[in-house]
Amino acid sequence: MKKYILKRLLTAFFTLLAIILILFILMQLMPGSPFNDEKLKESQKAALYAKYGLDQPIVVQFFRYVLNIFQGDFGVSYKISKNTPISQLIQTRLPVSVMVGGVAVVIGAIVGMLLGLLAALKHDTIWDTLATIISVIGVSVPSYVFALALSYTLGFQLQWFPMLFSTKDMMGSTVLPSVSLSMFTMASIARFTRSEMLEVLGSDYMLLAESKGISGGSLIFRHALRNALIPIITVLAPLIVDLMTGSLVVEKIFSIPGVGSLLVNAIQSNDYNVVISLSFIYSAMYILIMLVVDILYGVIDPRIRLAKKGE
Amino acid sequence: MNRKAVIALLTVSAMAVSSLGLGTIASADEVQASTSDLNIMIETPVESLDPQQATDGTSFEVIADFTDGLMQMDEDGAAVPALAESYEVSEDGLSYTFHLRDAVWSNGEPVTAADFVFAWQRAVDPDIASEYSYMLSDIGQVVNAQEIIDGEKDKSELGVTAVDDKTLQVELNVPVSYFLSLMYFPTFYPVNEAFYESVGDVYGTSPETVLSNGAFVLDDYEPAANAFHLTKNEDYWDAARVSLPGLNYQLVQDSQQALQNYQLGVLDTTLVNGEQVDQVKDDPEFQTIGAGYLWYVSPNQDKVPELANLNIRLALTHAINREAITEDVLKDGSLPTYTAVPPQFAAGPDGSDFSADQELFAEVCSYDPDKAAEYWAAGLEELGIEGLDVEMVVDADDAPQKVAQVLKEQWETTLPGFTVTLVIEPKKQRVEDMQEGDFDLGLTRWGPDYADPMTYLGMWITDNSNNYGLWSSEDYDAIIAECTTGDLCTDAEGRWARLYDAEQIVMDEAVIFPLYTQANAEMLSSAVTGIEFHPVALNRVYKNAVKAE
Amino acid sequence: MSKKISTAYSDPAPVYVPVDADFRLKDNAGEIAIDTNFASQNFWKDVLVRFFRKGGAVFGLIMIVVITLFAIIGPGMNEYTYSGQELSQKNLAPRVPGLENLGIFDGSETMRTTTGSMKVNNYEDKGLTDTYYWFGSDNFGRDIWTRTWSGARVSLIIAVAAALIDMIIGMSYGLISGYFGGKTDMVMQRILEIANGVPRLVIVTLLLLVLKPGMLTIIFALMLTEWVGMSRIARAEMLKLKEQEFVLASRTLGAGSFFIIFREVLPNIIGPIITQVMFSIPTAIFTEAFLSFVGLGIPVPQCSLGSLISEGFNSFTTHPFQIIPPIIVMALLMLSFNLVADGLREALDPKMKEM
Repeated sequence: MKKYILKRLLTAFFTLLAIILILFILMQLMPGSPFNDEKLKESQKAALYAKYGLDQPIVVQFFRYVLNIFQGDFGVSYKISKNTPISQLIQTRLPVSVMVGGVAVVIGAIVGMLLGLLAALKHDTIWDTLATIISVIGVSVPSYVFALALSYTLGFQLQWFPMLFSTKDMMGSTVLPSVSLSMFTMASIARFTRSEMLEVLGSDYMLLAESKGISGGSLIFRHALRNALIPIITVLAPLIVDLMTGSLVVEKIFSIPGVGSLLVNAIQSNDYNVVISLSFIYSAMYILIMLVVDILYGVIDPRIRLAKKGE
Repeated sequence: MNRKAVIALLTVSAMAVSSLGLGTIASADEVQASTSDLNIMIETPVESLDPQQATDGTSFEVIADFTDGLMQMDEDGAAVPALAESYEVSEDGLSYTFHLRDAVWSNGEPVTAADFVFAWQRAVDPDIASEYSYMLSDIGQVVNAQEIIDGEKDKSELGVTAVDDKTLQVELNVPVSYFLSLMYFPTFYPVNEAFYESVGDVYGTSPETVLSNGAFVLDDYEPAANAFHLTKNEDYWDAARVSLPGLNYQLVQDSQQALQNYQLGVLDTTLVNGEQVDQVKDDPEFQTIGAGYLWYVSPNQDKVPELANLNIRLALTHAINREAITEDVLKDGSLPTYTAVPPQFAAGPDGSDFSADQELFAEVCSYDPDKAAEYWAAGLEELGIEGLDVEMVVDADDAPQKVAQVLKEQWETTLPGFTVTLVIEPKKQRVEDMQEGDFDLGLTRWGPDYADPMTYLGMWITDNSNNYGLWSSEDYDAIIAECTTGDLCTDAEGRWARLYDAEQIVMDEAVIFPLYTQANAEMLSSAVTGIEFHPVALNRVYKNAVKAE
Repeated sequence: MSKKISTAYSDPAPVYVPVDADFRLKDNAGEIAIDTNFASQNFWKDVLVRFFRKGGAVFGLIMIVVITLFAIIGPGMNEYTYSGQELSQKNLAPRVPGLENLGIFDGSETMRTTTGSMKVNNYEDKGLTDTYYWFGSDNFGRDIWTRTWSGARVSLIIAVAAALIDMIIGMSYGLISGYFGGKTDMVMQRILEIANGVPRLVIVTLLLLVLKPGMLTIIFALMLTEWVGMSRIARAEMLKLKEQEFVLASRTLGAGSFFIIFREVLPNIIGPIITQVMFSIPTAIFTEAFLSFVGLGIPVPQCSLGSLISEGFNSFTTHPFQIIPPIIVMALLMLSFNLVADGLREALDPKMKEM
């Protein structure tokens, strides 16, 4: 097991290096510079490139960047927040995205599971159809349309929640963005829970549990749901990374100072360092969570461990 | 490890991450927010609070909230003394002497002439590499500025000296008629050297790392913040004039959100887009404010031989219905423009607007489909072709895309055989394509850097990097040289008249097709009065604003 | 039901005599009536039967056919073109001949302004008695009916093309990687991990900035990011099948690797592959819509469902009718593809063991 984890960590490391390199090459191909192209003379542009070391060959830039990252130095922003260390930018913004996304995951997972449970228990009834419709709408409508609709109705007309994110009213102003973001998670989880539960409910051990006289609530929650939960968690993992690293459009609509809106601004203004650093963090989180899930999954389910050996 | 443990572990880690999130988000509790603060909407975040590094309108506006320069803008945009109590100009116009008033920084230190010298030297320092260094060299013509930028001389040789604590002397290469109006531009604002050295690299990234000598003090800010706050500066030299207790900035990038929050009273002022204008145009709080930018189409005469034909160019410019663009599509108060220098930003020696008369070049620039068709037929015959296919590069932003679609439709319906393919690109790409001459037609804009027609007319001299169409005329170059460094430098009236001659050449030759002068449609709460709006340098000034309870 | 059993257990009597109430018939008469064991049904026929038994899936299929039909013929159903502007007829509300007499779709709309709301009929105000915009007109005076269906056409072409190319690339990649195993598999899987590790939206946005915008670029960008999932499934299926007898037999008979991969194994795994294609189409539509939203979508005056929605966003409070048609068509498309994919998955793999 230790060897396996070590191997995975090692490949994760090289994967990240390759990702940085790809981003560097793409950045190099991007038109324009982070600076005010329209009004700058060539000589001034050259001076700016020299100042930030952008005039160096890409290989040199790459290795310097990688070395700096290992010392925890992500460099400075060239444009969107001039000369601010990127670690400082991310420090204040990542927690916001993580919080808004985290709330969305929690809402989505809980509501989704309940919906899926309802659909499975009341299989082939009107409840099932209803839950299915809700969950299908959730995956069929983009989150920014939800954001628009929610902020217009609950925010503007009913005035229940503030429409703009504010650090002064963190609780209230998180509601609308988190709910709009949670829709997709909710729908996916509901669909998955439903099919998992249907399978579990039809399995032999449930029949056994039932015949052993275990009653309603306990039967469903302790026996059925718990068994269905494990695969659900693996579905949830990539969704968590997606949501926690910020939804680009929803952050823009609600004016949330998170990493998603930062990334969009950075891409649009060619702020190379910010784009690469954010992508790096995003990839690192993704790879790490997937690794953790894989390891846990192997620990939990002996069938998978055996299958791995067989490969 | 069993399942229960795994689930527990996942739950705990999820909670840990969430609480980490909550814990580290900066809380704004300590800030002295007041309900009578002015709530201002901004569309883009602040890029830099360092006056010599900032390049965008939002940053300039905020820097000017807490910093004063030698001069400030009055209601009409004219330069009036601020930190300079008085000034003298030498007879040859090459030397300016400013006498500073008693003002203090927010750390109690007095504002001295040395602060200006330090700041100006930073602006041209190659190590700082300020993007606006050309304000001192090309535009301000300060002695040795260009040499220092090019690394040929040391920054201490810049033509600005602190005669004593309260006297600042500036030497210029040539007389610059608009030099005083540059003094309200943030690149020329002072920076306290001792304070700057004490904070080092993080200067301007938090309330603790900036100093104020202006009407407000920054008290809640972080880099690229979506919301930040300033409070009235009680030690401001002109504090008696400031009535607002504070400024509350809020970034809103979605126009629906902005208007709805305005309607709920969360914002006191907001921008509205063209579609929303229908909804608010009868509202007394609705207004349009000139933004200074001239939008125009630049034909590439160098790359496309057909566009080098004057008749073709005149046909194109006559086929544009500028009124339809501003009235039916933009609807934000933008002005249809028929001159190469847009109206409402440059006032002449007698105080009149340089481009007040939009009929001046009606002969060569007006909406006239018949005339356009005639020129078109004549042009096609001269070239011996049946039709023309060109591409037009356009920014991937909302307004340019709308305008480009209308232009395409107008051209294609008026000029038989003419086809335009729109190439929608991110702005960076569009600028690069135009600078490299890789375009047929380009929809572009130019904002004035200072209140003088030269900020536009200077663009079309031979080999200027913004002369995208690579048009060249010796007569034109001669006139511009005469007005910038030649005989007319000190003769304001003569220079003014000569600038019209230059503009006439640009229009006669249809070097560009001017379209419209951008305006912003805004909502401004009726409780608020006294905000000053300007198309150049500082777009909004709040010093004299009053908000009724 | 469980209660009944538990009372039976808690019965204090030492010897329990079962009564009729202790037994009940499993309510599965419908299922056991079909004897699947002995019916020598063709697999695909079986799948079709199961698929068409699902109401949702059939509904989805019909909707896809209908929307595709409209995407083909819709833009030609009236005299307008998708780019033709008539600025004097901008922002007209929907008006449909016939229906207008019923008081709906009669071209009137309620304008809600900050100074009060009023009901206006711009057709009457402008004297346009014979003009009909079935879905209304946009802010350039373009017909929303025509634009909605042209947009649906563009979105469908992008999504289907991207999904099909993904299928070919991802499938081949996964099959080859799984079949050869060993070093080949190791290298190919590392490459896949890298492709998977880069944030999808970052790579798509950067590509669109680097390349010239247009439909082909969008398809290319989507293609680059979507093949990973497909290749995973193909590889997993290959690992399962490659040790089976029929593969062994084929190899013994002298078949080459590529013959085995594409002629022997591929036909056996086409089910899950098609299901995955069905799932990746909505993802592609979504991504395209996102790109339109950040201004990197299909270039104007062309339109896609995504770009229509983001255009309509601005006039959502003034002229809500402009954003409704593209949202409904897009939601219906997403819904239908999801329903069909769900139905297919269940039909192909009734026990839903996969995915």
